[in-house]
Amino acid sequence: MAEPPVLPPRPRSWLPAWAAAALALLYAAGHDLELSFEDLAYGLDDMVEYFGRYRAPDFAGVPGMLVLMMQTLATAFWGTMLAIVLGGLLAPLAARNLSPARWTYLTARELLNLMRAMPDLLLALVFVAALGLGPLPGVLALGVHTAGFLGKFCAESMERVEPGVYDGLAATGATLPQRIMYAAWPSVLREAAGYVLVILDRNVRMGAVLGLVGAGGIGLALHETLRLFDYARSSALILVMLVTILAMDALSSSLRRRLG
Amino acid sequence: MLRFPTPDGRPPRSLVLVALILAGLLIASAPLVEVNPRSLVGAGPRLLEFLGHLWVMPDWSYLPDLGRRMLETIEMAVIATAIALVLSLPLAVLSARTVSPHPWVFALGRSLLALIRALPELVWALVFVSAVGLGPLPGILALAVVTVGFMGKVFAEAIEVVDPRPVEGVAAHGARRWQVLGFAVLPQALPDLLGSTLYVLDHNVRAAAILGLVGAGGIGYDMVMAMRLFEYDRLVPIGAAIWLCVTLLDRASHRLRARVING
Repeated sequence: MAEPPVLPPRPRSWLPAWAAAALALLYAAGHDLELSFEDLAYGLDDMVEYFGRYRAPDFAGVPGMLVLMMQTLATAFWGTMLAIVLGGLLAPLAARNLSPARWTYLTARELLNLMRAMPDLLLALVFVAALGLGPLPGVLALGVHTAGFLGKFCAESMERVEPGVYDGLAATGATLPQRIMYAAWPSVLREAAGYVLVILDRNVRMGAVLGLVGAGGIGLALHETLRLFDYARSSALILVMLVTILAMDALSSSLRRRLG
Repeated sequence: MLRFPTPDGRPPRSLVLVALILAGLLIASAPLVEVNPRSLVGAGPRLLEFLGHLWVMPDWSYLPDLGRRMLETIEMAVIATAIALVLSLPLAVLSARTVSPHPWVFALGRSLLALIRALPELVWALVFVSAVGLGPLPGILALAVVTVGFMGKVFAEAIEVVDPRPVEGVAAHGARRWQVLGFAVLPQALPDLLGSTLYVLDHNVRAAAILGLVGAGGIGYDMVMAMRLFEYDRLVPIGAAIWLCVTLLDRASHRLRARVING
């Protein structure tokens, strides 16, 4: 009689335990929020009916909407430029291998973290309270929030640059600003341009809702038409937003593909 | 001295050109964003004055409520991420070029994902609040919809870049389509999937914190009310709580992601 082949021990999988824990956690969270999926199921018919009200967009006000959309685009553009300036100044300081001292590195990094952690609408609320209504607080909010992203990503790119590039320049007696200008930025320029495009795309999206807190653009109009239950105009506004955002998205991703 | 490493020491022409174009666009669009020298000069002192208002003792009696609201915000983000995870996996499989059953399905899936990801969470939240009423439910739905669009795309891209050799190996044994998916494609994409799920969770907490602006649950509502009523002693702890939660989660997910991706 042949010996049965000796099989390696069956691998122990923790997957069921993890899945059970995750489900329990989700259930607890749902219970805590008093969600009931019965409500959702019963509400489904209502929702279908509700979305049906958006069927007939009213394009009469489109020229006015386009002006608002232009304002949103301009806000996003200015915000992105502000982010480039702020993030660009902070990025070399937040790169471990370039920062002149440990405290500048830590300070710059924490500052970028703080900028990133504050949601841009919260910042917009604060800036609107400080500066009054209008697109300028929106520009500042978008700029400060995305400068956090841009600074962090550029700093990480600068940390990944080969040390030889910096050493070569340092060997010629280059000072820190010279190393930043002629070694750090040229090495990461391509990546940085990609990040800027991502941020511009994102700022157009967020710029569209900044109007909700009084920071200008198309968001305010949408808020008002929804308040007035004017579904025809709301639907036209959403369509204008959608087309613009999709166009920006396509433009930004085709540019990024060309950057390689 | 900053002298450019070009023969004549001047900045390269392409750089100057890009800078000029951007400056021109900025100046041309300045009236649209109502930026002018006067508004800019006025902004500094007003910002400083406002920052002076924030220099107050926090309202300690509000802290229990604040904790409750923050918990609600995080729960919303977690539930929405979980729902989106379940919905986006099949969509991702359909819209990954390499495993999609048909090129048309691929094109359709990708366009659908781009479409639902286009509008920001707050627009969806506005619509869902009108449809199902106030509370965390519309917020969760809004987060889930946008997250499905984002995760579906990222997952599809992760599935497209898996190593084709194990896939061929499993297929060569006569495995069916779903067996190939389950035993060769998805296990390889798993670290990427987990990494992007953590990233999305992070993003959703931040997004959930502002959904309250339109009545869709979470800390945002308290924030707006504190702002409207000039209750700076509440606004400061709210801002601090959001910063703390986002930062802790960011650190934790960064660590976990590094562990998952490096195996």
